[in-house]
Amino acid sequence: MKRWPVHWLLLAPALLFVGAMALFPLGYSLILSFREWKLAKTSVVGEFVGLQNYVDLLTDDPDFFEALRATCIFVTADVLVTVAVSLGAALLLHRAGRLNSLARTLLILPFVMSPALIGISFRFFLNAEYGVLASAVAAVFPSMKDTVWLADSTLAMIAVVASDVWHWAPYMTLMILGGLASIPSETQEAARVDGAGSWAVFRDITWPQLMPVVAVVMVLKTVFALKAFDTIFTLTSGGPGNATKTLAYFVYEQGFNYYDMGYAAASAYVLTAILLVLAGFYLRLVFGKAR
Amino acid sequence: MKRRDILQSTVAGMGGAMAPWAFAQNVGALKPGKPYAGTEINLLTVVAPQFRAHEAKLAEFEALTGIKVKYQYVPFPSTREKLTAELVGQSAQYDVLSVMDVWGPSLYNLFEPLNGMLAEKKMDLESRYPYAHLRASRDGNGNGKNILGFPIRGHVQLMFYRKDVFDRLGLKAPNTWDEMVEAGKVISGKTDMAGVAMYYGKTAGQNLMIWFNYLWGMGGELLDAKGQPVFNSPAGVEATQAYIDVLLKHKVAPAASASFNETDAVNSVAQGKSAMVPVWWWRYASLVDPKVSTLKPEQVAFAPLPSMPGKPNTTYTNTWFYGINKHSKKKAAAMEFLTWLSHPDIERSVLLDRSMNEVVAMQTKNLLDGDVNVRYKGMHVFAAQALKGAKGTPLFSQWPQVSDVLEASISELVAGKARVKPTLDDAAARVRRIMRA
Repeated sequence: MKRWPVHWLLLAPALLFVGAMALFPLGYSLILSFREWKLAKTSVVGEFVGLQNYVDLLTDDPDFFEALRATCIFVTADVLVTVAVSLGAALLLHRAGRLNSLARTLLILPFVMSPALIGISFRFFLNAEYGVLASAVAAVFPSMKDTVWLADSTLAMIAVVASDVWHWAPYMTLMILGGLASIPSETQEAARVDGAGSWAVFRDITWPQLMPVVAVVMVLKTVFALKAFDTIFTLTSGGPGNATKTLAYFVYEQGFNYYDMGYAAASAYVLTAILLVLAGFYLRLVFGKAR
Repeated sequence: MKRRDILQSTVAGMGGAMAPWAFAQNVGALKPGKPYAGTEINLLTVVAPQFRAHEAKLAEFEALTGIKVKYQYVPFPSTREKLTAELVGQSAQYDVLSVMDVWGPSLYNLFEPLNGMLAEKKMDLESRYPYAHLRASRDGNGNGKNILGFPIRGHVQLMFYRKDVFDRLGLKAPNTWDEMVEAGKVISGKTDMAGVAMYYGKTAGQNLMIWFNYLWGMGGELLDAKGQPVFNSPAGVEATQAYIDVLLKHKVAPAASASFNETDAVNSVAQGKSAMVPVWWWRYASLVDPKVSTLKPEQVAFAPLPSMPGKPNTTYTNTWFYGINKHSKKKAAAMEFLTWLSHPDIERSVLLDRSMNEVVAMQTKNLLDGDVNVRYKGMHVFAAQALKGAKGTPLFSQWPQVSDVLEASISELVAGKARVKPTLDDAAARVRRIMRA
């Protein structure tokens, strides 16, 4: 008796599940992106329009380019700050000690909070009348006393980035801590015996071995930043103006505010393409060198 | 003559003026013999104290018909997505759905026209509801022949102000927007309060709700007869400038107004930080609720929304309706429920329930009710008058996109880095593109 049918039989439930939950929606949304379907006009999927949705998006939609610009600023700042904060925190917490163990345990708390709740909380924190954070900043920098954070495009972007960093940095710190733990301590000790200082040990011993982990952190954070929606929705609603409206928010608006499902699907695929290109670039940059 | 007598005579006078249509109404009857006993219908509705009060009365409906009704509440920000999911899924999970007027044109496909069932029950909604509310439940952008639901919750705008502060400073409630600014200057000069809490931040188009009054008051319009944007006309530019000047030039609004939404502005007054707020009437409940406000009812008074000097008052309505899901398998039972729920006595009992301050009245009979007006100091008589000339929210299927463009423009303008004319011109160009698509 051949064994292959048994293999397929055993795999079938998992394949069916993946097919129904992932492949079907992906395929269906790809088909939708080539069709016109304005839900406000009809509940039936409309005619095939070829690449028209993509052409409109890339040539005739100023909102898309504004969202693209906001996304570039947000993702760049968010990824760099998150990685820097996580790396710094991980290096500080890498040493053994009771306090560090407690800190590591507490690190998980921001990560388990709902992003929507974080957005609402930051909105309160930054309220110009009674916000704790706004008052604290004003106490340190008196010139910022009457600053309305969420009404200024630059400050609103800083607020969005800060809230996302607060959410993700602890989790990324734990990932980097895992990476640090896997680096053999003997090499670092040997370098110190040879007279290397802390910076030299980090630069020449720790960093090269940690880089693959940091690369994974960067890839993951880029993906999460590109998908960020809840915090932006509850904190700024994309404002002031469209200063913090990212591509994920743009896609949401097309589908759920404007009921233009074909256009929303095309926008989502453009976002996915950007995401895949960036992920590929990162992975090639880091793991390509390793080969 | 006591205040109660004065109010009741005013109401009686208005009732006479509005006769014969005001009270000659057929509210429809439930079908005899409980033909739908044992049926369970599901209702999806936005969160509102008014609806919780309805839910508390369901035992009465079940006793009359044998129909069970299950309420499922959705917070306002999620309501539209939930309705969209129903529209896409074409499911029969909910039999009755609540929808806000501006969403209506995008969601007509979700609702069953009620004309046949209304005719069968000899129900005449036109005699019961002000046109400003009823248009929201008609298809064809408010002008169609099909009625898609019963207006259930609706609002007019009022200027709420701190009566104690105004009395102490010898101020009168403002009749014009300029008077509002002048009163605001006196208040911010002589107290530690801001004059008026405005809301210019981005939240579901809330920063357009007062802007519309400036626009219309100045003689401007949103779109022309061909559906093209004209809000960037000289009148529109002047109106928008006056609207943002309340904060940027006159500085009578708290600085935080630049990012306030409607709730933030109401909270500013409730916390004693601002003396006025132009807002929907239902906010009265939170202004005088001791759980969320520092104010007592005698400290809060209301006046009509100000107008432009020498121009008539403009006001604006917002309406929710309950309609029957086109895919429901229990349409007849759902209609029985709506027949019962829309009886004026149900609405009246909520209005007079002393355990809450729910001011929302939709039916003309209740707007003119003596006891209701005594309880709310004549607010409803005023609302009935205002509703006769009120403009409604613009109804067209592209409104959500247009609203987003306009609210982003207002939000950008109050950041103080953009000028009105170019910003409105840019918004008009975007709106033209939206209307073309």
